[in-house]
Amino acid sequence: MTISIVYYLQEFFRLEWLQKFFFVRTAPLSIPPYFRNYPELTGKTCTHHLFCMMACPAPGAIDVVKTESGWQPRIHKGHCIRCGLCVEACPNGVLTSGRILESMFYDNTRLSFSFRIDVDPDLCMGCGNCAVACPVNKVIDVQMSYGGHASTNELLLIVREGKSQVLHLEKCTGCKTCEDNCPTEAIRVARLLEAVHGPEEEL
Amino acid sequence: MKRTVDVNIPLGPIHPCFKEPARLKCEAKGERIVGAEVELGYMKKGIERIMKGRPWQEVMFLAERVCGICSVIHNMVFIEAMEKISGITVPERAAFLRVVVNELDRMQSHLLANFSYCYTIEHETLGMYLLDVRERVLDELERITGSRVMAAYMIPGGVRFDLREEDEGHLRANLAAIEGSITRYMHMFEGGPLIALRSKGIGVLTREAAQEAYAVGPTARASGIPEIDRRLRHPTYEKLGFEPVSRYEGDNFARIMVRFQELLQSISLVRGSLDLMNGGPIRGGGIPGAGEIAYSGEAPRGELSYFLKTDDAGRVLEVSIQTPSIMNIEACCHYMLKGVASLADVSSTFVSADPCIACTER
Repeated sequence: MTISIVYYLQEFFRLEWLQKFFFVRTAPLSIPPYFRNYPELTGKTCTHHLFCMMACPAPGAIDVVKTESGWQPRIHKGHCIRCGLCVEACPNGVLTSGRILESMFYDNTRLSFSFRIDVDPDLCMGCGNCAVACPVNKVIDVQMSYGGHASTNELLLIVREGKSQVLHLEKCTGCKTCEDNCPTEAIRVARLLEAVHGPEEEL
Repeated sequence: MKRTVDVNIPLGPIHPCFKEPARLKCEAKGERIVGAEVELGYMKKGIERIMKGRPWQEVMFLAERVCGICSVIHNMVFIEAMEKISGITVPERAAFLRVVVNELDRMQSHLLANFSYCYTIEHETLGMYLLDVRERVLDELERITGSRVMAAYMIPGGVRFDLREEDEGHLRANLAAIEGSITRYMHMFEGGPLIALRSKGIGVLTREAAQEAYAVGPTARASGIPEIDRRLRHPTYEKLGFEPVSRYEGDNFARIMVRFQELLQSISLVRGSLDLMNGGPIRGGGIPGAGEIAYSGEAPRGELSYFLKTDDAGRVLEVSIQTPSIMNIEACCHYMLKGVASLADVSSTFVSADPCIACTER
């Protein structure tokens, strides 16, 4: 009993505790600058590369819309998981979140995107929906029509011998339009994202 | 054979002492518990099914969301498994940074576990002290990664953000303060006579029983099986000269004390990796490829294994996760709870094994 009281008093009359008891103030409720919040716009010009949409792991969290002042990314807060990949992926620094953008310059990180298109020949029935829907193809061959046949070899996707074929993979922008338009899920686009830290190169 | 059971007492699924829903059915004889069964399945998320067929960029974030308390280790084990599959090497500085963040995450998880034990034995003061320390640890995590939980810090080929010099100074200063308070609270716990009455000799898991039940993590280490620690097989921890802690009593007291000792050990591991860290790149790059692997790491609660199968574009074809808590829940129900003297000790014994139901059911 006595020991308990002694312990209690000892605990109560600690200088640290007394100072806290009389002088402590609740810290102001503010968001620290390093907190990775929802991405915000920095005001720089968006060039509609869509890398933010390609890197985003959450479906439907970001899209790029056309406004009066040009293209602009838009964040849907209900879907965003605040991973900050869109901030890293953007080549122009349109978005910012926490210290990510600052860290990218500080660490000198460079990101590279590449894409792979896999066509499953067993599932592909050569309907040509992918080739017709592809926005890259539309620019190269405006006259491409039903069936996915064309006379030029400069296209990204083309139907040959009843199967869809990839001709120029380097032209792919990873929009996945072909994947969305495939009725048999034969075509799949993989986005390969690679980040390298280069300390020896000065920005 | 018919068993003479006075009454079958259910605990949960909603119980003030449990952090997550689980149902314990205790067979009681008088007030003594003669056996227990656990009923799980209240928070199944089906996260492995969601992971299938998705690219690694998405699975990386899904893996973190398996568990809210130990999210960093899920990220780390998944990413290291991907790196093993595709032969990506990690820069040295990034490997040490991974250890720093992982140990900070282990600290906050252990502090929460010890808080819930103190709360369960009605020592709320000590529990709240521990939560206060946990806030400091979470602040450090936020300072490094930008987020308190779901840090998404590790990616194939390195980590996402570098540790800056001013942050390192802040981390070291905060670690010193955390170490001081943890030592003080550890002595409080060790020397408290009423804590000893509620903890010593209760819920004993002998070494043989722990081996039979395949107990993992701090639960097994409190029963004298230190070699269970997967960190012994991790190359970065080998560089740091890691030695697991262990105790031999196997009761509630030993399990909590093992966690307290591991907190101090985590602090020294963080310091060790800060000392050994040199400048250099933190992102080596590398593209995940095809392969199949079973890889495990040490979560705060024990061994966490991922079985992964990917195709050459880095999509996850098959995944299955084995989390540590299911082993400890088994050990708790079938070995620790047998012969516990009263119903009040059931909840404290269950909490001392630190069950994480979200991990268990995924």
